[in-house]
Amino acid sequence: MNSAVSPLEQMVVVLARDLADGELGAAGAAALVPMAAIALARELHAPNLTVGGEMFFNPEPGRLYPSMLDDRALGRCEAAETFIELFGHSHHGLGFFFHSGLQHDAFGNINLHHVGGTLHAPKMRGPGAANLSYCHTSSRFYICPTVHSARNFVEKVDFITIPGHLSGPAAKRDAGLVNEGPRLVVTPRAVMDFDKTTLRMRLKSVHAGNTPEDVQRHTGFDLAIRGDVPRTRPPTDAELRVLRERIDPSGALRA
Amino acid sequence: MEVASPTMDGQAKPTRCSKVTSLQDAARLARGALEERPELCLGGLFKQGRPVALVRGLLAAGADGLHVYSSPGAGYDIDLMIAAGAVAQVFIPGVTLENRLCPNFRRAVEAGQVTAHALDALTVVGGLMASAHGVPFQPIDALRGSDVLKHNPLLREIDCPFSGRHIHAVGPIRPRVTFLHAQEADRWGNLRHLSTMVYADQLMARASDMVIASVDRIVPEEVVLDDPSRVTVPSHYVDAVVEVPFGAHPTASFPNYAMDEEHIDAYADLGDAARAGDAAGLNAYIARHVTGPESQGDYIEAVGGSAHFARLEAEARNG
Repeated sequence: MNSAVSPLEQMVVVLARDLADGELGAAGAAALVPMAAIALARELHAPNLTVGGEMFFNPEPGRLYPSMLDDRALGRCEAAETFIELFGHSHHGLGFFFHSGLQHDAFGNINLHHVGGTLHAPKMRGPGAANLSYCHTSSRFYICPTVHSARNFVEKVDFITIPGHLSGPAAKRDAGLVNEGPRLVVTPRAVMDFDKTTLRMRLKSVHAGNTPEDVQRHTGFDLAIRGDVPRTRPPTDAELRVLRERIDPSGALRA
Repeated sequence: MEVASPTMDGQAKPTRCSKVTSLQDAARLARGALEERPELCLGGLFKQGRPVALVRGLLAAGADGLHVYSSPGAGYDIDLMIAAGAVAQVFIPGVTLENRLCPNFRRAVEAGQVTAHALDALTVVGGLMASAHGVPFQPIDALRGSDVLKHNPLLREIDCPFSGRHIHAVGPIRPRVTFLHAQEADRWGNLRHLSTMVYADQLMARASDMVIASVDRIVPEEVVLDDPSRVTVPSHYVDAVVEVPFGAHPTASFPNYAMDEEHIDAYADLGDAARAGDAAGLNAYIARHVTGPESQGDYIEAVGGSAHFARLEAEARNG
């Protein structure tokens, strides 16, 4: 395990540690990091974690794929469902889900629709999003974009596709968002969480090779850095061995 | 061929109609129906199980002003239809090639040439459910906090008659024509998806006025009768079926062939060039792959011939 830990591997390990045994969860569209995290958790401490809610249960892919909505990525799976069942999953909610977007803001809101202009006269039109329900019908979700810059971490998103904590506790309550919402923001540079009182994002730890000042410089809003910021706990030898040997033998997380 | 055979009393026995048709006839059938009402729905999801040969056929037959629906995620085919100038409105929640944005979708929406509605999966699936089930609306109680709710044209807020809570309702989405792709069908139009996922295809088939399916192969009806639980869409819901080798290309038809990511990437590069002002490559692509080929055989040759497709078949087999 000598070669350097990649930023994506560090993301995977942070996310995997937060998933509990016996939970039900799914990965969403951009699935490389989330699916690796789920697989690592299942191998190490959560053998009864069920992957479900996205039209299949417990896939066994031979390697990591960028999207799970690919029959190659499913490999073998225990059961297949359809969009009719997705309707029920969306209402009942999952234990956890993952999201990322074009813009993420200080309250964990995510924009996938447009940057600049308006929805129907956009400067830049994004892809939109399919499922908007898991972010609040599920117990919690994680934000895990594979880029962290002042362009995609902005004070306020231009359009709220996926609601996070909106503008704080009062707005969240008024909108009927009763679950935890975004818990952690895990990027290639750092881990952020949310102030319990204000629900604003704050820096929690920085990955090896980054300083708090670096992370702040690449973020478009104040990360509330006070005092020393801990280093993100790097992968253990066991975590890295399982990740590289069993989950990502082709090295997609190191590409 | 159906041949009337004489019965005991000498009367000709009436025969059941085959729903097998040609790609060109299917495209003409669809074009005529869409001229009455331009609501087209596409099966599959993103780069899997998309009825792309039927889409190309429709574009070659000439179509414009379409309102396009899909399962909640689409990419290559809707982008190609926009590039060909056939689309007025997009009712698809997620439009992306997944590894990159859809270039023509983006360009046309930013230029105000195409309206892309802000929707979500539950609205589209719920609208198809209402239509399929023959009810006036489908309640939705899982949408909160998103700006999509301020713009979604298909949703209404209602009071739940039981709890009194404010919830949402979506009316029936009734496509005039739905295109599906399945791996197999018999000549009566019973579809068999052999892929792991069946997406929203079964729902769309029940929600639509007209269903036209492409399949990798037509199988003898004994295959269907021997394993009826394997039929995903009964022929009752299907109006026409076309045998089209590699009819989902460049999307996948699992387990028969994998998605052609290189082809889609090369197409997207041409789309990005067009977005930057140089449409020559994109126009040549459309001429070569959409309007040029007179048959699926011509298309297969234009893409790279049988050796190219053998690689996609091998990838689906071996992962």
